[in-house]
Amino acid sequence: MLCEKCGKNVATTHIKTSINGVVESHHLCADCARLSHAVQNQFGLSDLLGTFFGEGVKTVPYADKRKRCPGCGSCFDDIVASGRVGCGQCYETFLEQLLPSLQRMHGKAVHAGKRPRAEEAAPTRESELEALKEQLRAAVNAEQFEEAAALRDRIHAMEEEGKDHE
Amino acid sequence: MNKWYASLGKEADTVVSTRIRLARNLAGIPFPSRMTAEQRRQVNEQVRDALFADTTLGKQFKYLEMETLPDITAEAMVERHLISPAFAARREGKALLLSEDESVSIMLCEEDHIRIQVMEAGLAPEEAYRTANAIDDALSARLTYAFDERLGYLTECPTNLGTGLRASLMLHLPALEASGGINRLAATVSKIGMTVRGTYGEGTKPVAALYQVSNQVTLGISEEAAIENLRAIAAQAIQQERALRSSLDPDGIEDAAYRALGTLKFARAVTSQEFMELISQVRLGVAMGVIKDLPLATVEELMISAGPASIQAAEGKPLDPAERDKARAKLARERL
Ligand SMILES: [Zn+2]
Ligand SMILES: [Zn+2]
Repeated sequence: MLCEKCGKNVATTHIKTSINGVVESHHLCADCARLSHAVQNQFGLSDLLGTFFGEGVKTVPYADKRKRCPGCGSCFDDIVASGRVGCGQCYETFLEQLLPSLQRMHGKAVHAGKRPRAEEAAPTRESELEALKEQLRAAVNAEQFEEAAALRDRIHAMEEEGKDHE
Repeated sequence: MNKWYASLGKEADTVVSTRIRLARNLAGIPFPSRMTAEQRRQVNEQVRDALFADTTLGKQFKYLEMETLPDITAEAMVERHLISPAFAARREGKALLLSEDESVSIMLCEEDHIRIQVMEAGLAPEEAYRTANAIDDALSARLTYAFDERLGYLTECPTNLGTGLRASLMLHLPALEASGGINRLAATVSKIGMTVRGTYGEGTKPVAALYQVSNQVTLGISEEAAIENLRAIAAQAIQQERALRSSLDPDGIEDAAYRALGTLKFARAVTSQEFMELISQVRLGVAMGVIKDLPLATVEELMISAGPASIQAAEGKPLDPAERDKARAKLARERL
């Protein structure tokens, strides 16, 4: 069966419509089916990356521009120019400059997943409290007050619990 | 040993495969774009030794230095989804740990020091994650990762910070595509930090109705939650695709599927693009039970073996495009 629209290609899309009891069959080729619906490719990672460092650059004061990572020698401009972070220590060195972009990209910029084996035993009350407080700040900034209230209660509860143990 | 794609997974009518990827880096060594040749060698060997030191896992892997491989072999690995195109293109100082059934590949010194990738046929994100997680545990027992309490696993590209997890599904959605529903799916997906992309296409035109759904956000979300989101999206896409398939005109489907099968069975030269469009029709026919005596696993295996490099690797010599199209037609005739 050939496409009923162009009459050239093999019909590969077969649509049955039923409008007010009138059943109609349409047989279209892939190209004509696409034209009628305009399947559009979706945004990918590169688009996100394209806008990733955009705003961070302007907000960096001049003095910080000459700061270099002790781990790999990168300055913040190197990271912006390449779109790649030099080493693990860069994150510590340039955290302040990176955070706005990280939050734009990931929302909450606090890790919530797995930890390496060596540190598994370590999720201490302090680090958990710190993470919760960070989430609270983020929630307040984002004006998500319900979430903020819930977080505040959890922090209070943990602090109370801590006192009992002391 | 059978390769992973020769078996049939769950929800195979709509889900072609599941892929889990974990990005990891070693502490105290610059990320790959700023590494010296000596540091690359060090990282490759340290990771290899850490994996081989694990008595059960170690036995399942072989270690390949990428620069020793011929171009065609490396490109065929890309077509089988074992490695990334960038990893194949610049192989100097890079290494690969590959499991026997090719379901697990660990790229060393790609964009990150370690990229653990697990493939499963059909819908199996939990199973694939479990495998990747076990390898990650084995490695981290012997290596110190670059990890930060607040930012999680540190990665060369900040898009992977946190869990370093990319969970994706390859979906076959011909009916949803034909109905124009992909955009709606993409809109839903983007609301929960995920993305949909056409695969196998050049530029904006997706080929063969194959779409990849994956998570975009890796920081502030647990591995379990990311996988749950992926499952939720998959459930929605599968349900929509099935509903649309059942509303299609069965006579038309049968005609199209057999025409495609007929062409593949008798054609003497088939380009890669034409092949993908035809096999997509055949896949739909088999999945809907219109084509009866052809196993879906055969279709899957053929789909993954018909790329330009795989064709040449199978023939054992470089072929020009016209020769490849002939070899591809021959392969299809033999398998179908
Ligand atoms: Zn047409
Ligand atoms: Zn650095």
